[in-house]
Amino acid sequence: MTAIEIDGVTKRYGDVVAVRDLSFEVEEGEVFGFLGPNGAGKSTTINILLDFVRPTEGEVRVFGHDVHDESVTVREHLGVLPEGFSVYDRLTGRQHLEFAIESKDADDDPAEILERVGLSAADGDRKAGGYSKGMAQRLVLGMALVGDPDLLVLDEPSTGLDPQGARQMRDIVREEADKGTTVFFSSHILGQVESVCDRVGILRDGQLVAEDSIEGLRETTSADTVLHVTVGEVPDGALAEVRGIEGVTEATHTGSRLEISCENDVKTSVLSTLEEAGVEVEDFETEEASLEDLFMAYTTDKQEVEA
Amino acid sequence: MSWQAIARKDFQDAVRSKWLWALSLLFVGVFALPPILLFYLEMGATPQQGEAGTTDMFVFLMKQGTSILIPLIGIVVGYTSITRERESGSLKLLLSLPHSREDVVFGKVLGRSGVIALPIALGFAVALVVLLFTSLSLKLANFLLFAALTALLGLVFVGLSVGLSAAASTGKRAMVAAIALFVWFVVLWNSFANQVVNALVKYVGISEAAKYETVLFLKLLNPTQAYKTLVDAFLMDSALQSRVYMFGIFKRKTVAQAFGDSLPVYLSDPFVVAYLLAWLFVPVAIGLWKFSKDDL
Repeated sequence: MTAIEIDGVTKRYGDVVAVRDLSFEVEEGEVFGFLGPNGAGKSTTINILLDFVRPTEGEVRVFGHDVHDESVTVREHLGVLPEGFSVYDRLTGRQHLEFAIESKDADDDPAEILERVGLSAADGDRKAGGYSKGMAQRLVLGMALVGDPDLLVLDEPSTGLDPQGARQMRDIVREEADKGTTVFFSSHILGQVESVCDRVGILRDGQLVAEDSIEGLRETTSADTVLHVTVGEVPDGALAEVRGIEGVTEATHTGSRLEISCENDVKTSVLSTLEEAGVEVEDFETEEASLEDLFMAYTTDKQEVEA
Repeated sequence: MSWQAIARKDFQDAVRSKWLWALSLLFVGVFALPPILLFYLEMGATPQQGEAGTTDMFVFLMKQGTSILIPLIGIVVGYTSITRERESGSLKLLLSLPHSREDVVFGKVLGRSGVIALPIALGFAVALVVLLFTSLSLKLANFLLFAALTALLGLVFVGLSVGLSAAASTGKRAMVAAIALFVWFVVLWNSFANQVVNALVKYVGISEAAKYETVLFLKLLNPTQAYKTLVDAFLMDSALQSRVYMFGIFKRKTVAQAFGDSLPVYLSDPFVVAYLLAWLFVPVAIGLWKFSKDDL
């Protein structure tokens, strides 16, 4: 069954288009990373999913229910960590959880949830107004876990968390995924999602520019290796010869350095071609493009990538 | 029920705020001070000869103050109820849970009603205790009716201001509208009613009796006036008398003659109660309609 269906969604704010004819699906049980730089339209998409804002065009369904017409039904299946929320200053952490439990008609134990998200019992008895951003983030994650939701929607969940908190967050996502919960979460940092996601979608300027599994993305990226070569003299025509090798996409020369982008398995022939052409190779190193580079390539301006 | 959970949370939240207790103190002061003053003045004085007053006197005097204070407090209690959550982002927590926007508005009306009802109840309870120590003889039914009507007036203004808060997209707009609302009802309405009727007399040429009926009707549409005349209605002999009492002292005789001995049905007590309740339901409905279709 399909957990989330986003079908031709466009959202305009006056002249500004936040999301443009967006369509994709998230399968049940999947951990889907929704990536993109700030302002790409991730939060708008999630806000439409939660019925906080209404799309100008298109439809969103969660487990087959329209998110606007059957919003309450949809949210009965959901656990949400929204972006840009604030807690109720005068209520304690425990009261927040009790409210979530009552709202979802669940029977969770607040103490267990506090422990799971890394808050102490003493924290739970304090007013949430005194919480740090990270603690508030943990508390609201706890509220999202109440009632064992079928779908977790986490909007920038690592905001305000220290590295340990971010790791706990990932552990919780993994635990939930192992139980069969579908997880949909957004981030502007790929590093936070690559270890837990089955699949990612990369959003840029309100449009999906890539949608693939992490393995798929890795394959795409491992195709490209950058060879940094420190050289002495470079005779005329040497670069041209290198560019002629099949699998080489780019070769540039600045001062005593050559930079050659190529497929991983033509590295040696690049080096031998250089030497045959009379180039004095003093040193070289290879750099495999990381997912991060790919992500940057997808999400920054085209010209910047090529430059 | 979803809106009950919201109401409970909202009330829990408010109970912890200092100003709810400041409000209670204010109400206790306002309601209990006159009887305390009376008690103090009576101390050591010889009991008056003849008939002593009743607590109806207290009610009759107090309604002037409550008809201004309760709307003011009702508006203050309600006008930020939704805009504040909307601007801070806690509304996102609320609506991430399975609550509809209707639940949010109804829950807020209920929760904030509790916030105003509690101090009112406290104020009346303390006043009642103090009154027992004065020479005024207690007319409990009237006293309780007065308390109930006062709570209803509080509820009406909470509904009005929560509706306003639901419709407003920013806290600032809600505040401006709230101030305007208060000035309109408490200060401007009566002269507005008179202007309308004068215009009718001048341009349409309605009869004397129709003139009084129209001005009365317009005045009764003001929730604070409706409240006052309903309080008077059970203190006085008849509803008619309490309506006539809404006119200035020199006009009352003429008005009474114009009405004869019967009140048009749309000026009778049940209708006045209905007008009062309309101010509770209509603004909530409008606020909800706007809130439901807004992007947050």
